[in-house]
Amino acid sequence: MEPQIYILVVEDELEVMDALVNDLEKFEDTFPVETANTSEEAKRVTEQIYESGGEVGLILCDHVLPGENGVDFLISLQSDDRSQKSRKVLVTGQAGLEDTIQAINNADLNYYIAKPWTREKLHEVVVDELTEYVIKQEYDPMKFMSVLDSIRLADVIRSGRITDR
Amino acid sequence: MKLSIKQFYGLILGIIGLIIPFFLNIEGLSEAGHVALGIFFLAAAFWMLEPFPIYATSVLVIFLQVILLSKEGFLFQSATETYTPDSYTAFMGTLANPIIILFLGGFVLADAAVKYNLDKNLTRLLLKPFGTKPAFILLGLMVVTGLLSAFMSNTATTAMMMTVILPIIAQTDLKDPMRIGIALSIPFAANIGGIATPIGTPPNAVVIGALSQQGVNIPFGEWMILAVPLVIIMLIFAWLLLLFMFKPSTDTIALDMSGKFNKSKNALMLYGIFVITVFLWVTESFHGIKSAITALIPVVFLTLTGVVSKDDIRKLPWEVLWLVAGGISLGISMKSTGLAEWIVTSIDWSSFGTLMLILVFSAVAILMSNFLSNTVTATLLIPLAVSLATSGIAGEGFSLIIISLVIGVSASLAMMLPISTPPNAIAMSTGSLETRDMAKAGFAVGVMGIVVIVVYALFYWPLIIN
Repeated sequence: MEPQIYILVVEDELEVMDALVNDLEKFEDTFPVETANTSEEAKRVTEQIYESGGEVGLILCDHVLPGENGVDFLISLQSDDRSQKSRKVLVTGQAGLEDTIQAINNADLNYYIAKPWTREKLHEVVVDELTEYVIKQEYDPMKFMSVLDSIRLADVIRSGRITDR
Repeated sequence: MKLSIKQFYGLILGIIGLIIPFFLNIEGLSEAGHVALGIFFLAAAFWMLEPFPIYATSVLVIFLQVILLSKEGFLFQSATETYTPDSYTAFMGTLANPIIILFLGGFVLADAAVKYNLDKNLTRLLLKPFGTKPAFILLGLMVVTGLLSAFMSNTATTAMMMTVILPIIAQTDLKDPMRIGIALSIPFAANIGGIATPIGTPPNAVVIGALSQQGVNIPFGEWMILAVPLVIIMLIFAWLLLLFMFKPSTDTIALDMSGKFNKSKNALMLYGIFVITVFLWVTESFHGIKSAITALIPVVFLTLTGVVSKDDIRKLPWEVLWLVAGGISLGISMKSTGLAEWIVTSIDWSSFGTLMLILVFSAVAILMSNFLSNTVTATLLIPLAVSLATSGIAGEGFSLIIISLVIGVSASLAMMLPISTPPNAIAMSTGSLETRDMAKAGFAVGVMGIVVIVVYALFYWPLIIN
């Protein structure tokens, strides 16, 4: 059985958070969305997810946060095996070049979405990243075909993951 | 490891089933037959309710037979009046049975084909002549799927075809019923197409393995002569059915046919070996080179040339080979201990005519395999049919080959539910159709399947075999 895979959104501005969560509604059934306003809270939330046997498949993170900033938070996740494999996306308008380079080099940043985002772009990135996650973790592709990139998942099956029986 | 309730019952039933015969004294059944009955119960419970993966049960079956029934086992070190034990090599040898080697050859070819995108490019090439009209596109999809799944696994073929049809489905109007028709056409054609050749799908291997134990050798080409006409009829029927049930509301469909054949040295080598192998298989009856021997050609030359790498070999679906070997192995002891014959004689067959027998076996096989693995269905039914035919109980005209074919073919024609076959499950998981669509269409295919099988078994197969 696959563990429950969560999407984590870290964002301090309530309106922006609402908009993001709203745009993620389509994924909610398969990938429950958890939210945090600060990196501190985000760490608590991920810990709870791990304790319940779940995994964080994707983290959408703002850069400018009260306390520790988004890039530093993402870098801190690299030191834990469980969060290292999570797909990491910065959703921000204010990360400077220096921070962004940091995130790419040290946090294995998978994508950078510039604010304001469009719903289509967000969906595209979420689908791509979670598809990558599911494939890398070798989870049953069939469970995710209706929400994620079904063509890529079918290709995984084609190369022998599932066989006649 | 956590078991569901169903699996838990399977585990308990299997263990009880294994033990009980040791405490019974069944009249007319040899001592060894009791042991074999226990193993049969365990295998049936484990395979049907799946407390363990089915391939794991298969090796367990081989193991139990070796330690309980072979000459080197604990119970029968010398022959008794009623039982002459086989050597352990007979049971273990099933893992290298010619039919297993034939499958291995098929796996290596198919694996290389996927690696070099031969399957995708062939699909594009073959789909071109079918134009842009929905009805013909649907036919084209089914013909190509059927053709490929005759040589590749049904599952891999379905997965590959999904990458072709998903873009089509995404373009069509949400209300166009054709979406469902297209989504169903692929698993249906893959299930049906698997019947066409010995390597098309594992139940065929179970049938061929069981027959070869009876000294009946079915050459590759002869299997095709027996099976292909049935496959064609069923494909045409399924095509018309899907057209009728899910009438397309558009006039044209745009297919993306772009894509180039890989022309690297390795890919060319693969194409060559592919053509040679398939040619030798299909013409087996003319030159007499056994298909299992031919199967070594791709294994040998694709590895010698590095077209298939060590990693590719590791990724082959070895568990399918275990599954088939376990099935063949179970048949050995069911026959040699007299168990199969005992089961058969305990039913009064004389009231059945040949027609009735074919009908019953076909219907039971289709029903079972809608819920169980196709291979398991064939494995559990074949020993009974073989005994029925060889013991002469069913009377003259009840042919061993025909009844085996009936079971093998029927096992592949079950496609009512997502759990019926992996291709069905894949189509279902794309989210483009509902279970009731599949159930309705799959039911019609199943019923038509029984009719076609009965007609073939009575009129066509006897012509070819005799």
